Amino acid sequence: MAERCAVIGLGQTKYARCLPVSMDGLVREAALRALEDAELTFTDIDAIVLGKAPDQLEGVMMPELSLCDALCAVGKPMHRVHTAGSVGGSTAITAATLIESGMYNTVLTVAYEKQSDGNFMWALSGGRSGGQGAGGSFAPWIRNYMKRSGAPEHIGWQVAVKDRLNALKNPYAHLHMKDISIESVKESPMLWDPLHFLESCPSSDGASAMVMTNAAGAKRAPRPPAWVLAHAKRTESGVFPGRDPVIPVAGMECAKALYKKAGITDPRRQIDCAELYVPFSWFEPMWLETHLICGPGEGWKMVDSGATEIGGDFPVDMSGGVLSSNPIGASGMIRCLEAANQVRGTAGDYQVEGARVALGQAYGGPSSYFAMWIVSSEPNPTFK
Amino acid sequence: MSEFPVSFTLEYPYTRTPGPVIGPFLTALRDGRILGIRCGGRVLCPPMEFDPDTGETLRPDFVEVGPSGRVESWTWIAEPTRKHPFQEPFAFALVKLDGADTAMAHAVKAAGPEAMSTGMRVTAQFREERAGAVSDVYFVPEDDARDQAIQPGEGEVEITTHLISLTYEGMLHPHNARYAQGLLDGKFIGQRSPVSGKVAIPSRGYDAIACVMLTPADDVELPPTGTVASYTVITPIKYRGQTETESYISATIFLDGSDQSLPMQDIRDIPLDEFRVGMRVRAIFKPPAERNIDAVGNDWMYPTVGDVLERWEPTGEPDVPVEELPETM
Repeated sequence: MAERCAVIGLGQTKYARCLPVSMDGLVREAALRALEDAELTFTDIDAIVLGKAPDQLEGVMMPELSLCDALCAVGKPMHRVHTAGSVGGSTAITAATLIESGMYNTVLTVAYEKQSDGNFMWALSGGRSGGQGAGGSFAPWIRNYMKRSGAPEHIGWQVAVKDRLNALKNPYAHLHMKDISIESVKESPMLWDPLHFLESCPSSDGASAMVMTNAAGAKRAPRPPAWVLAHAKRTESGVFPGRDPVIPVAGMECAKALYKKAGITDPRRQIDCAELYVPFSWFEPMWLETHLICGPGEGWKMVDSGATEIGGDFPVDMSGGVLSSNPIGASGMIRCLEAANQVRGTAGDYQVEGARVALGQAYGGPSSYFAMWIVSSEPNPTFK
Repeated sequence: MSEFPVSFTLEYPYTRTPGPVIGPFLTALRDGRILGIRCGGRVLCPPMEFDPDTGETLRPDFVEVGPSGRVESWTWIAEPTRKHPFQEPFAFALVKLDGADTAMAHAVKAAGPEAMSTGMRVTAQFREERAGAVSDVYFVPEDDARDQAIQPGEGEVEITTHLISLTYEGMLHPHNARYAQGLLDGKFIGQRSPVSGKVAIPSRGYDAIACVMLTPADDVELPPTGTVASYTVITPIKYRGQTETESYISATIFLDGSDQSLPMQDIRDIPLDEFRVGMRVRAIFKPPAERNIDAVGNDWMYPTVGDVLERWEPTGEPDVPVEELPETM
């Protein structure tokens, strides 16, 4: 790469069931907060990269055109990224690539979803009635994971509680469930056996944004930058003979490529914390294994031991994660953004002490798309 | 071989929260007025939230414009579609309303294209039934305008609804047509890749890993028996179009000889406490006249057997150990 990429501005809206703003106003709010954090204005931006999940979620076709005014993108390059639920991660990576290539000095990237405008269940059923939704597709794979790993059922409840307790420390989070407990998760309605209602993500409105720049820009930044050490994307088809949808090959290959680029040889020890895309509680242990943070069958044991709590040796979803806020198109970017938030030391009440290297991960489709990045407080950290 | 036309309609009433500028604009239309917004020395109509030149957030400084204006340009719609504002021929025109500096694209109801010209004067007319939508208004040549007494509505327009509908039409791809014909004939037709030897049902017509096209010579008929690889119990959530009311099992089943599972198979007749991973099951087809393959499309993301099965029933054979299922599923 010609240039190094640094994240110098982070912006988020409050995540909520329905925000009474226009789609334009929504993306604008996140963008302005990111610019404010970087102490820049729209005039400093060379290009804009926009991501959101499929257009049918809100029924606004090609919103990258209609949102140009709100993002001051008129007369500038506007890029749209489109990789289903992983899109926020892919969008952040696309923006980083534009900096690393040397093409632009400073890029604004924004991802959003206004889920209250449409019907997520319907959209994910391909517009067919009688669809069973994402949970119905993922539940058999989760059952399979439990069977092959021998994980006890309380693991899912435990992740659901941990992420909601973390969310209490994050003012932007959609769900603030003070009274959440193992009991309440277990007693909540069974939607897609073995998935309970409280083991599932909410449906949120919200937007997130980041300002990225090169080394020269990072030097002028008013606050500590998060340096992008490496990123990787991998894709596999959702249906083919011999596919393992529980631990998809694309997810493993994505992690391998990522760690290799970053110079990481022992992810569990060398990465301080991670924001993983966990829309249903069981995906935490499944991704820990898929992304080689632990061995096969060990993911649920990490959860069980408390290793993934703030204060554990590998905290996951400190911000509350997708289980606490899910504006789908933004959810992947929020993982990348929160990883940057940690290594900048600006994560407030959910800061992991001394976080130097953090992982952001997103997945989409039927566990088909993967987008991951690693950021650090140092441009060239050494790993032992 | 039979040909199968496929038709699929995507339709849903979306909602919008129009926000601090479009909201008042739509409220005013419902009440028979047209609003522009001040932007520097200009008045923009339709109004915008952000200055298109500087990107600054505009103050909600509205100004009433029209109801008459000048046609800047136009085109004649000789054959309207069902979603057009008029079902008889009409013009789409750019109308610069009196008091505004920008033109609004809208519909003009005129006798014919000879009644339209650039520079002509037009006047707003409001529909009897108004919903706080841009379609509450239309334009006519100024001389055709009638005086209207508009009764204002109540409250502000904060949420709007939009029925969006799109119909796709085409033919099933040949491999899908053979699969669909098989289902009508009470058979499961998959394809075996000559490269990997692996069998997919439904097949995508190519081996996605080896990137090799498959041919009718690669078709294989699979038996109606298989093994349950996994399942979930769905408790239906209410949403538009949902027809399910009771909990049901949705199972992933590997037909014998197939390396690709059939997802989302409805199980209605096997009690939940008897259902399990590894269970041997057999598909029972409906009588030929009742088999329906309307749901079979070219979209491989949602593989389906259509509506051809009466039920899946246990064969009574011993369970298959999970480790013996194809790959890890």
